[in-house]
Amino acid sequence: MAGKYGVPTDPDYPKRLAEFEARIARGEKIEPGDWMPEEYRRQLIRMISQHAHSEVVGMLPEGAWITRAPTLKRKMILIAKVQDEAGHGQYLYHAAETLGITREAMLEALLSGKAKYSSIFNYPTLTWADIGTIGWLVDGAAIKNQTMLAQCSYGPYSRAMVRICAEETFHHKQGKEMVLLYAKGSPKQRQMAQDAINRWWWPALMMMGPHDQDSPHTPLLMRWGIKTKTNDQVRQEFINEHAPEILEAGLSIPDPQLRYDPQSGNWLHGPIHWDEFWQVVNGNGPMNKERLAARRKAHQEGAWVREALEAYAAKQQKAAVAV
Amino acid sequence: MDTQWPRWEVFKQDTPSKPHQAVGSVHAADPEHALLTARHVFARRPQAVSLWVVPAEAVFSVTKEQLEAGTVPFPETPPTTKPTLYYVFRKTSHKRSMTFVDYVGEVSAAGPAEALKEAQSRFTDAEALAWWLVPALQVVKSDPSREAIESWFEPAKDKTYKQQQYYATVGSHVSKHKGAKR
Repeated sequence: MAGKYGVPTDPDYPKRLAEFEARIARGEKIEPGDWMPEEYRRQLIRMISQHAHSEVVGMLPEGAWITRAPTLKRKMILIAKVQDEAGHGQYLYHAAETLGITREAMLEALLSGKAKYSSIFNYPTLTWADIGTIGWLVDGAAIKNQTMLAQCSYGPYSRAMVRICAEETFHHKQGKEMVLLYAKGSPKQRQMAQDAINRWWWPALMMMGPHDQDSPHTPLLMRWGIKTKTNDQVRQEFINEHAPEILEAGLSIPDPQLRYDPQSGNWLHGPIHWDEFWQVVNGNGPMNKERLAARRKAHQEGAWVREALEAYAAKQQKAAVAV
Repeated sequence: MDTQWPRWEVFKQDTPSKPHQAVGSVHAADPEHALLTARHVFARRPQAVSLWVVPAEAVFSVTKEQLEAGTVPFPETPPTTKPTLYYVFRKTSHKRSMTFVDYVGEVSAAGPAEALKEAQSRFTDAEALAWWLVPALQVVKSDPSREAIESWFEPAKDKTYKQQQYYATVGSHVSKHKGAKR
């Protein structure tokens, strides 16, 4: 399935690159086996594997609340949501594998701490309202990004995104429903919802990544149709949808400079604390160590299951040969 | 770190009248494990009535671009190879989709190269952007009995809370705030 990956020193590189870019301009999908620049492949592996790791690590902050869900209904919803994140990780690892990287190499990169994943999952989930707020704001931000990536020029990534978006909409809605109910509830419930919004708003805005002028990959990613919108465009879409809804619910947003600009129709935000973002990305967030430790523990504790399955498969094969 | 399990391509059929479609892959130790994992990964929601799994290395895949550029990696087929049945899958559209190639039928051929030629002459109703050819013997199918279909795929239908429609409109309709622009 490995495709042909072109490098600028190939004699036919300029010609193949022109054909490749023309295909993308025509809205064609690039499929495994097709010619593609090595750099296109490299950027996709970087993005898709980080995305896959984010889904897998994303199970941890929410999984911690499954046993403490206040009702059976909320517990079933949360279990289904965490199951979905596991599935989304699988879809994405599959998409990356079509580019010739192995699952094993990606898992190794995650467990060794070499791989990056979304910085949002290095924040703690302190109260039950965080579960609703993650659905509404964190998944809300993720969907904006994923809807954009569903248009991606690489077929397998695009298809994974279409599947994920269809499922993720439920994550967003259940979270929004929960927070809006608390916003209408007792003073204590309102306070819990407000506290969660206060803590998740800025990390959610940081999920789209640095501003366009500080995002060196963006022009190339846009030219090759890997991304179809810039970080700032996606962030603006997120704010435009969520800011008025939060305010309408009678909750406040922890940004004193946030205002509606009638000229552009956009909600303009105050400065984002990028120092904090880079601290968390570089491993110094509140939960980085705990998250990795939990992944490693799960991997180690699952070793006997993997061994048992392998032994069973070997036995079946032996029996089949004997017949 | 363990050595990874073999990869299996997964095909899902949504309803009896629809073709099996390539949805992605799973890693598994054996075919039974592959089918179970495929169910957990790809059939958490309706619709599904059948799953097929195939060892990834048994799939011969060709794109239109490879055919035009003459870069198809045809495998060696010894001249003594006897004809065998191949399942043919095809992709015909660049439209946004969550599935890749669709099952279109079967051909009898001695090796993947001949199977491709056969498929190209048989399935001409639409332009093929990609072909997958799979020896029928390598395809492992989920149990087609009514009981098995019920037990594997029906529970997803009752879990309506996984569907966004379950929540109807939460808060104001989105158009309210969109309409506020300008």
